[in-house]
Amino acid sequence: MAASCEGVFDGIYDEGAGSDTEVKAGQLYIDATSWNDWYYVDLDSLLELTDKGDVAALQQAQTKFTPWPIPQTENADAARDSSGMYIYWFDIFGKGMSYYERRGYKPTAPQPEPEHWTFAVHRDNVRTNGGSVFETSYTSMEELPASASSFVDKTFTADTWSERDVWVDRTEMLNCIMGNQGIKINQVLSSWLVFNIPPIPPTYTFNNHVFILRTKDGEYFALQLANYTDSKGTTCYLTINYRKIAL
Amino acid sequence: MSHTSLFTTLALAALPLGTFAVEPADSLLTGNDLEQVVVTGTRSPKLLMETPVLTQVISHADIEKADATNLKDLLQQVMPGVEFSFAQNQMVHLNFSGFGGQSVLILVDGERLAGETMDDVDFTRLSMDNVDHIEIVKGAASALYGSNANGGVINIITKQAAKKLNACLDARRAKHNEQRYGLALQGGSSRWSNAFNMTHTTQDNYDVHSDDGAVARTVTTIFGDHTWNFADKALWQPSDRLKLTGRAGYFFRQVKRSEESPERYRDFSAGGKALWTLSDNDVLEGSYSFDQYDKSTWLKSQKIDTRNYSNVQNSVRLLYNHTFGDNVLTAGADYLYDYLSNNKLDAVHRQQSADVFAQLDWKLNRRWEFVGALRYDYFSDHHIQRLTPKLSVRHTPVDHLNVRFGYGMGFRAPTLKEKYYDFDMIGIWTITGNPLLKPEVSHNFNLSVEYVKGNYGFVVAGYCNRVTNKITSGNPYYASATETMPRLPYVNIDRLYVAGFEATARARWSCGVDARLSYAFVDEQAGHKDGQKLASPYLPARKHTLTAHADWTHRFSTLLDGMVALDGRFLSGIDNQEFKNYYKVEEGTITVHYPAYTLWKLSAQMSIGKHLKLIFAVDNLLNYRPKYYYLNSPVVDGTNMMAGCKIRL
Repeated sequence: MAASCEGVFDGIYDEGAGSDTEVKAGQLYIDATSWNDWYYVDLDSLLELTDKGDVAALQQAQTKFTPWPIPQTENADAARDSSGMYIYWFDIFGKGMSYYERRGYKPTAPQPEPEHWTFAVHRDNVRTNGGSVFETSYTSMEELPASASSFVDKTFTADTWSERDVWVDRTEMLNCIMGNQGIKINQVLSSWLVFNIPPIPPTYTFNNHVFILRTKDGEYFALQLANYTDSKGTTCYLTINYRKIAL
Repeated sequence: MSHTSLFTTLALAALPLGTFAVEPADSLLTGNDLEQVVVTGTRSPKLLMETPVLTQVISHADIEKADATNLKDLLQQVMPGVEFSFAQNQMVHLNFSGFGGQSVLILVDGERLAGETMDDVDFTRLSMDNVDHIEIVKGAASALYGSNANGGVINIITKQAAKKLNACLDARRAKHNEQRYGLALQGGSSRWSNAFNMTHTTQDNYDVHSDDGAVARTVTTIFGDHTWNFADKALWQPSDRLKLTGRAGYFFRQVKRSEESPERYRDFSAGGKALWTLSDNDVLEGSYSFDQYDKSTWLKSQKIDTRNYSNVQNSVRLLYNHTFGDNVLTAGADYLYDYLSNNKLDAVHRQQSADVFAQLDWKLNRRWEFVGALRYDYFSDHHIQRLTPKLSVRHTPVDHLNVRFGYGMGFRAPTLKEKYYDFDMIGIWTITGNPLLKPEVSHNFNLSVEYVKGNYGFVVAGYCNRVTNKITSGNPYYASATETMPRLPYVNIDRLYVAGFEATARARWSCGVDARLSYAFVDEQAGHKDGQKLASPYLPARKHTLTAHADWTHRFSTLLDGMVALDGRFLSGIDNQEFKNYYKVEEGTITVHYPAYTLWKLSAQMSIGKHLKLIFAVDNLLNYRPKYYYLNSPVVDGTNMMAGCKIRL
């Protein structure tokens, strides 16, 4: 009777199932919910920790990431029409996001970044550090070939300039106006999670294909978005599988 | 038959609060609605023609003819002054003669429903497959029903199982792959009966297209869903003076808005009721009701079902009716435990509420009848208390003519959501609860004249409502200079006036023609004393609405019944003032025009023998499509053909 006062059949839901932050080796868990920060991942340093066998340090490095704020303060000295906030109107409630108008620009300092990094995430956006990406048809890391040689002749896509994708300033969102960071992002790797708006509230399209990241140093890494929510269903908690592929 | 024994008979037939109603004969040909027993207006069984509180009845025959799937389909087809629109996320919002969903109390067999979205109950859970009839009382009725009975009460009375074992299967298909399947099993003996109903519906998403030049938000895709609805009701009558009923239900809906992460809605309900006829003069009823409404998101690829909302209501009710002479004394008490868990609230909240009420139905003579009621309600959260009175008078100056007058006070206690909401709506604004909200209070005056003789019936009813402290979402504001996201608070607004009248004419001829024409006028004025404008997301009531129905029913032979029906509704256009810029209210408003529209439906039903009925319909006969699919525009995209059948075994 007492239980029924506050509900029955709790068991049919997956509330609180497991721990969000415990990941296995070769897996990242990033709280990328912030609209104002990038989170950088250095895969080389993670592999070093793996090789050392320092389980605690690896767990920490795979789940704790430092936010790198997106500059939003106007900086007149910044190069015009490069780094900065780009104000766009989108026809969110009409014909959709492919209809837009540029409404303004505010120069800001460039995006700060750490000395060593491989890729970075901001909600559904991904950048690489001078790398390029190829999308495979594999949906499991185990299916991948042991050598990267089979990917060498594939077409890899480098990061490209974007001023409408990295949504930052939402203060005029209801008026369909968004402040976006002007920055290079990797459109192929970013396709692992697509933020659809309309409808309101937005929906997400999730692509669990394995992507191959070729770094500027010629290394190959396999990356796969395994999940994009926490156990309570909050979006932009990213679980990412990673693995280095030798040539 | 003495009045006392008449009362007892009615009580046993209908049960106070309409636990069961007797299933009508399986025929398109039905008797006179005036013999219908109604319970909603007085919480005691009364003949429709004699009740001092004007009660509109949507009969079982009306429901059958409408072939409606749920309450929304039915009300918008047969009731004037009713319109449904979309809230955010395409949740359905009701405007019921100037009152929104939270101010109209919707009951099933007298029991409240848990759960709400954007102020309205989930209308898809109110399936019509097991409904005997619906009683509608307009105007404030908080003296009998407590909070939320501000603008009226809609009481859905479910069927009582037939004693004879039978089964019924039905199916219907329509546009956008809309499918409906139903199963009904019932049976029993002289002392018990059981009815089981199941309904499954599904509909695909579909796109709608607006012209260029929209000045308000438009919808581009209408989201389909699929639902499952199960209900079982058992009756056991161990003696002539005692009836025990039990029920259980399960509802599931999955909206097809997102392929990856569809939203799910579930409801678990159960209850028991005992009706004990202590003597020819005394009837006691006790009931317990459980209702749990959950919302969750199904993360398909991860196979995770995460719940983000649960509203659980446990209620206990006692109702006692004592007759003396022609008079009835009614007394009752209710207790409700309300639990709300919502990830958009600051925390889990609980509230207990209790009430006591009494009513005297004094029948001076056959020409005059007076009903007076008084109720005290208590809510534990912030210790809200209300005392609400009600007075109704029926005068029958000449036979067949009833004049009814009523005054009722209504109130709506702020919900836990309205007090404690804290929801970042994807950065648009934070919807913020207000623990200091006052209860919304209304004063309703109504006057009606009803004339029914032979095959003809006419009703004219006027009403006016003065509402103070209406609870609604207010204008957006910034809590501080450093906040970048506005807050959208819940507020009390100073005043709401809703006045209007309705006129209905109905005729039935022995040749099998049944016709009904209803007109409703509603004038709704809301605002602050200082003239400050409101950013209400919902359209006010349209001033003029007209509904028309005509059908011809004919028995061609002992094996063949047929019916052809035409239903139409007209709603006048309306201009609504909406903010140009929700972030800068000072920029003023623009006028958004919602044009008049009319929708017509032609349907035909054919019963072949005892076992088969075929149903065809062409809805939106005139192929109406709104120029702009605003949230408050009718969701139709042209003519819709429907075909179905019902097999009875």
